Amino acid sequence: MLSFVGKKLSSPVGRIYLWSVLLTFTIVIFGLRLFYVQVIDYSHYKQAALNDQLKQYEIPATRGIIEAEDGSSDVPIVLNQRLYSLFADPPLIKNPNKVATQIANIIGGQATSYLTELKMKSTQYVVLANKISQAQSDKIVAMQDPGLGTQGQDYRVYPDGSLAAQVLGFVNNNGVGEYGVEQALNPILAGKPGMLKAITDINGVPLAASKENTQIAPTPGSNIVLTLNVGIQAQVEKILAKDYKSTKSQGLSAIVMDPYNGHIKAMANYPTYNPADYQAVSKQTTFQNAAIDNPIEPGSVMKTLTTSAALNSGAITANESFYDPAHWVIDGFNIHDIKQDGGPREQNIQSILALSLNTGAVWMLMQMGDKGQTVITGKGINTWHDYMVKHFLLGQPTGIEQGYEASGYVPPPNLNDPSINLRYANTAFGQGVSVTALQLVSALSSVINGGTYYQPTLIDKIITPNGKVEINKPKIKERNVVSPKIGPELIPLMEGVVKAYLHGGFSFMNFPSNYIVGGKTGTAQVAKPTGGYYANIYNGTYIGFVGGDRPQYMVVVYNIKPNITGYAGSFGGQPVFADIVHMLINEGYVTPKT
Amino acid sequence: MFKLKNVMVMLKTATKEYEADLPRKHKPDYWLMIDWIILLLIGLVLIYSISPALADTTGLSGSYYVGRQILAIALAAIAFIITAKVPLSLWRDWRKWLIIAAMLATLVAIVLPVNPNYPAHRWVRLSGFSFESVELVIFAFLIWFASFLAGRMLEGSISSFKKTVKPVIAVLLIIVGVVAVIQSDLGSTGVIVAMMGVMLFVAGLSTKKILTMGGLVVVLTIGAVIAFPYRMARLETFLHPTANCQSTGYQACQALIAVGSGGIAGAGLGGGAQAYGYLPESDNDSIFAIYAEKFGFIGSVILLAIFGNLFYRMGRIAGGAPDNFSRLVVLGVLVWMSVETLINIGAMIGLLPLKGITLPFISYGGTSVVFFAAALGLVYQISSYTSYVPIGDKDRLNRRAGFNDNNSHRRGIGGAYHSGLSDRS
Repeated sequence: MLSFVGKKLSSPVGRIYLWSVLLTFTIVIFGLRLFYVQVIDYSHYKQAALNDQLKQYEIPATRGIIEAEDGSSDVPIVLNQRLYSLFADPPLIKNPNKVATQIANIIGGQATSYLTELKMKSTQYVVLANKISQAQSDKIVAMQDPGLGTQGQDYRVYPDGSLAAQVLGFVNNNGVGEYGVEQALNPILAGKPGMLKAITDINGVPLAASKENTQIAPTPGSNIVLTLNVGIQAQVEKILAKDYKSTKSQGLSAIVMDPYNGHIKAMANYPTYNPADYQAVSKQTTFQNAAIDNPIEPGSVMKTLTTSAALNSGAITANESFYDPAHWVIDGFNIHDIKQDGGPREQNIQSILALSLNTGAVWMLMQMGDKGQTVITGKGINTWHDYMVKHFLLGQPTGIEQGYEASGYVPPPNLNDPSINLRYANTAFGQGVSVTALQLVSALSSVINGGTYYQPTLIDKIITPNGKVEINKPKIKERNVVSPKIGPELIPLMEGVVKAYLHGGFSFMNFPSNYIVGGKTGTAQVAKPTGGYYANIYNGTYIGFVGGDRPQYMVVVYNIKPNITGYAGSFGGQPVFADIVHMLINEGYVTPKT
Repeated sequence: MFKLKNVMVMLKTATKEYEADLPRKHKPDYWLMIDWIILLLIGLVLIYSISPALADTTGLSGSYYVGRQILAIALAAIAFIITAKVPLSLWRDWRKWLIIAAMLATLVAIVLPVNPNYPAHRWVRLSGFSFESVELVIFAFLIWFASFLAGRMLEGSISSFKKTVKPVIAVLLIIVGVVAVIQSDLGSTGVIVAMMGVMLFVAGLSTKKILTMGGLVVVLTIGAVIAFPYRMARLETFLHPTANCQSTGYQACQALIAVGSGGIAGAGLGGGAQAYGYLPESDNDSIFAIYAEKFGFIGSVILLAIFGNLFYRMGRIAGGAPDNFSRLVVLGVLVWMSVETLINIGAMIGLLPLKGITLPFISYGGTSVVFFAAALGLVYQISSYTSYVPIGDKDRLNRRAGFNDNNSHRRGIGGAYHSGLSDRS
């Protein structure tokens, strides 16, 4: 062949054949190169293609709904609704005027405002509207405009508005629960997202049917039934809103709890918010469930626990009397009663609670050291510390299913501290120690129910996606808080407090005689951030119970800095407690005495 | 008044006059048409299969592209019929008008750019249609240059510096100045230069002079590459393909990924995702890579074979062409098509730098489809007048090769199949 070409290179035809040979040679080279790229190096290029084209997507799981008890059945209080956002790729919109008008006709709003966005040729993604309905989205899709698209997203819906808002928390734009049950039980509610592996176009849009596409279906979240009673919760919230105004409060919290299993029947705070519209909340504290995350110095409500500890440790007996000097000097500091209490005289345990004698609470602390002593000893401090921390479980989170639960504070029994006696004297009547409303009510419940500290809980049952119902059985955190006989001793003492207030002119503390109602006020001094206490600012607290043959509900009230005349506990905490108890009785939630 | 009947009569007369000078007409080379139709159909099917991806990136409907391509094929069929029917002698007579039309089109493209923001002014708009002026330039150049060289061969002055080399260099400089510099279309310039070189070579220009002119071309090319940074970048990309995958080498890398991921059998007509925005120009300059992705090594070799067969047939027709003008026309068309094909495919498989040149018959776009049809029509016409000599038949080939003024094979004197009496070459 080459010799032929060589011979004829001088003739046109010979030269044409030379060109043909070159051409053939090049085509053969190309074929060899194709063999190398497509056959030998195939896997390298296939992998490179998949690296670019194969993308992973999360398929969001449906979030579990939240229900609560309402009468004999459970009703949903948090549901899901799929809503859509509408977005546009402006350069692909051929007739913006027409499209803008069509959009305005479907989803409302001004065509002109959509038009401005549709004319933004510099961007390929602009969100025109959020939270449009399924029907509206379907109409947009039916327009078949390549420049328009909708994207579905699940939103939480709240049939009862702001009911139990802070207990529930909300779900943020990323589908993650924040605050409340939504945060604490996010893993259970959220379920497990599925996964889609798909060949996509360069913008990440999956292409239909490809061999490489794989899909793992999402696992929906579990539904949760709360222990909350919708009726009680709603009524308590109403009462808080009313009393917030009448006491000119800066924050009002209340819990209604079943002392025999730790179930929270109501837990509310005011001010509150609507979780469907959580973006509108300007103050972050509004999201907080103050009942569990705002520990305060509780004041004299603490005396119920001091009394329980003193009774259980054998330091005192329920009907004991003692001489009250009306003031103690401890570490050079004067602890005294208020003037209305009538100065030094013989007092008893009932009057310590009814008159809220600080000197009496300190005297009980003294007895916890060595009976008959009138000094605070290291033994007394250690015993009381032991009760607070190991029996009443103060200074640590209760483990309620809520985000951001606080631990509160119990001063360490550091006997080398020169003012340790004063510190501990204060704790005996609820100062210098900080306790959340939930910690307080859980601790006292354990005394009232005969000595068992139940894990306080908001969860009644969990219903898994396949319909399995997991009952949340009461969990015992501490078995021998106090001996079973202490409850029956404390109950009449607390009933006595209620009667004393009624006789003292607090007519709203008059309850029907076929119910037992007991309680204790607290007027707590508020610590300055710089040390010491404010002269005229108090928190009003109240802890009590209502029942028939036995206490059925424990009720705690924290009223932050009410602006009222008179003692904050008596006039700020006590009326709220009374309102709640009257409501419980009147609405038939309490079983009367048999 | 223009009357179709008059035109037909005129055509008939011209054809008769033309045929009087030629060997006996025989059946045309149907392979030309078969290969051509197969390639057009492959292109159409490819455009159809990637039209969703095209629609996705541009927002136009998928049927828009298929419709446009079918329209282009219809126009191409008309162009093919015209060039196949209008006798070659008339085309030769019209070469001056073709040159004027090409110059006008180029002028319009430069002065009235379709898109003033795009620096390469290559497009001419004609009421709704637009075409690339350079395709008309190549077509006109083909006719003129074949005629010019045939004339010089007749005179025997093919190797004369004054009569041949000087005007050729002048034309070369004009084309380089307009197409390469003003329109910055180095790919098309390369095609024209290749046509020039091969046609000169076949016409018999001495190897020494060809090498001298080749040196000039090399110097001009180096100048063009250095003067324009993007060409430098393309060259750099070509030399180090993987280093620039995310920047200048993006298209080259994605093209190789498309080709390589096709494997032996390909991803199938509906498979492969490279057209979905990954590989730029997937309907056009990069269409071979998309084809290779979908049809794999087997499909790629079949496509190369179809092109190879088309080129082989054209080579045979050039070898058996009845005179030097038609031989050079066929040769010019062969070089035009084969160089574009090889530059295009070579770039897709990483053997050549990217040039921005379409794949004949397959790439989306009317201009290229129509002008290649016109060029192929000329070859088809000439294929009816060849004096067929089987390759390898030395004696007969020797007798047939290279004459222009031997009339012994003409009608009435000798048969088309046994006409060569003397060899004057």
